[in-house]
Amino acid sequence: MPPRRQPPPASGPWGPRPAVLLLAPLLLLLALQGVAAAPVGAEGPEDSPGLQDAEFPSGLLQQAARAALHFFNFRAGSPSALRVLAAVLEGRATVNPKKGCQVDLVFTTDHYNPEVGEEHLGKCSARVFFRNQKPKPAINVTCTRLIEKNKRQEEDYLLYKHMKQLKTPLDVTSIPDSHGHIDPSLRPIWDLAFLGSSYVMWEKTTQSLHYYMAQISSVNQWKTNDDTIDFDYTVLLHEFSTQEIIPCRIHLVWYPGKPLKVKYHCQELQTPEEASGTEEGSAVAPTELNNF
Amino acid sequence: MKWILFFGALIGLSVCGREKFFGDQVFRINVRNGDEISKLSQLVNSDNLKLNVWKSPSTFSRPVDVLVPSVSLQPVKSFLKSQGLEYSVTIKDLQALLDNEDEEMQHNEGQERSSNNFNYGAYHSLEAIYREMDSIAGDFPELATRVKIGHSFENRPMYVLKFSTAEGRRRRPAIWLNAGIHSREWISQATAIWTARKIASDYGKDPAITTILEKMDIFLLPVANPDGYVYTQTQNRLWRKTRSVNPGSPCIGADPNRNWNASFAGEGASDNPCSEIYHGPHANSEVEVKSVVDFIQEHGNFKCFIDLHSYSQLLMYPYGYTVKKAPDADELDEVARRAARALASLSGTTYQVGPTCTTVYPASGSSVDWAYDHGIKYAFTFELRDTGHYGFLLPANQIIPTAEETWLGLKTIMEHVRDNLY
Repeated sequence: MPPRRQPPPASGPWGPRPAVLLLAPLLLLLALQGVAAAPVGAEGPEDSPGLQDAEFPSGLLQQAARAALHFFNFRAGSPSALRVLAAVLEGRATVNPKKGCQVDLVFTTDHYNPEVGEEHLGKCSARVFFRNQKPKPAINVTCTRLIEKNKRQEEDYLLYKHMKQLKTPLDVTSIPDSHGHIDPSLRPIWDLAFLGSSYVMWEKTTQSLHYYMAQISSVNQWKTNDDTIDFDYTVLLHEFSTQEIIPCRIHLVWYPGKPLKVKYHCQELQTPEEASGTEEGSAVAPTELNNF
Repeated sequence: MKWILFFGALIGLSVCGREKFFGDQVFRINVRNGDEISKLSQLVNSDNLKLNVWKSPSTFSRPVDVLVPSVSLQPVKSFLKSQGLEYSVTIKDLQALLDNEDEEMQHNEGQERSSNNFNYGAYHSLEAIYREMDSIAGDFPELATRVKIGHSFENRPMYVLKFSTAEGRRRRPAIWLNAGIHSREWISQATAIWTARKIASDYGKDPAITTILEKMDIFLLPVANPDGYVYTQTQNRLWRKTRSVNPGSPCIGADPNRNWNASFAGEGASDNPCSEIYHGPHANSEVEVKSVVDFIQEHGNFKCFIDLHSYSQLLMYPYGYTVKKAPDADELDEVARRAARALASLSGTTYQVGPTCTTVYPASGSSVDWAYDHGIKYAFTFELRDTGHYGFLLPANQIIPTAEETWLGLKTIMEHVRDNLY
């Protein structure tokens, strides 16, 4: 596994900024110093300034970073350019007990695919607003551009062509299998599934809930025509603080360079495993993107 | 079918031994009917071509594999072509393939298989793990014994490996290594069984483990939740809990790491039997937990308790059930940091260090908190690889790297215990 750099302790002033996406990278470049790699295995979890209060879930900054990255990955719509959190560099949270919690932070990112040899650390700044324990935080996030837009589209298009060559119907059950193995020919499917799941995971994240994609448990439909890849699958999300496994049915439509379209429905309630059928989630109505 | 017997008699000729096969090729020839078979037998029978049949068809329309020496390639190809026999070259250079295989086999030796061929770089069934434990005890009879400490809800044995250089029945200060309490965290059981063989193999060779074992005993439980483990292999790869029945509920199992008597049913556990963190009806209700508790209490001289989980790459110490600082927190923190550094020194894998409650989340009724509150000062939880990419489904090719780096962390802790016995 490529080493992840440890964050230096979160430091002081980082005043509130208007969400001016264009200026932010420039300001950041001017404001931030180079980051030295911290001694390995050294620091503990992030303590944000002024947030020593035990009421707040540990790792609020990490929480915000993860949410921001899910959102970023979804909006970028590029399965070949997925990013994962490397380290939180600095951040600060402002709490309004009635409304919620705003987190401003800077973090570094790594290439999602661990097999990619070189470390291409990217940097992002984000403002994340968690409404009191409600999901779908509001996010403004900017990341340094690591690859030329054209190059990225090229990679995506290669991925797209590769996926179109897969025999349909796909003769797969779970990805990865129980032993963690993903056939290299199926890797693009995993990446695309992760892209779709990023949308879902962003929408479900709260101050205390965060998700990982554990497994694609079934591929229900895989259609490719000249224009798009139409992918209907069931994914198992792992929610960390409750340790629950949440099955989500996701239907996405993707074409390189075009915005991703996603529809999904997750099994929200804990269903008794012996009960037949599934209980529909009642707390959260199925979310649909109307551009579908 | 006489030709089958004839072909059959040719199989297995002189491929063994140190003969060389540079440039020799294997042809896969399609034979669709009796006519084609007789044409082929013509070819094979010709003495000067020195062909060697590897696989003869048992029925029609199955291909025949024939080894063709390099000198005969041209005439054979011409013949096949002239007779209209379809073929493909499946091995282009037999010697190259054999050389490759040799290399791979040598590499596999580095893959660490035990004498009965247990592959440490793969995930195994419960039976295989139990057999390997027995095998380790057999290979190192003076050091290791497999001990049954109880049974699971579904009546499977709970086995630990006891490593002891003590003579007689003196109860030496002891270390407990716990693994697989959450069945879906497969890297935990896999790391544990690797560690078992490592302890046994390195005793007498590595000064650290040797001096540790001169002073202390080590008890290793690789599968603390056998029913759950079997369930992950047969029914649901992501099952976490035990498989006990909850009266009045259709949901099965309790979280064995919320079932210990340390702020039982406190914060960070659930009273809903359908929850993944259901604490159970009462402390030690899970027989798997009770077996360990009874054993440790009866022994009475444990100084260290380490619980292996996945995932997140964390090394933690009490408490999970409260944010209050444990009395030995400073020392435990220092040891943990050193252990994390040792771990990272191998491949750069970084672990975060801290008390459970604030490092991961509040959790009551955990094994490590129970151990600590019962006088076992050196109580640690490892959350092994990775940080979420594969999560529970860590690829098997990461087992040995994970086990090797974790070993460095474990040794750091055990050395500290050895040097700070109380």
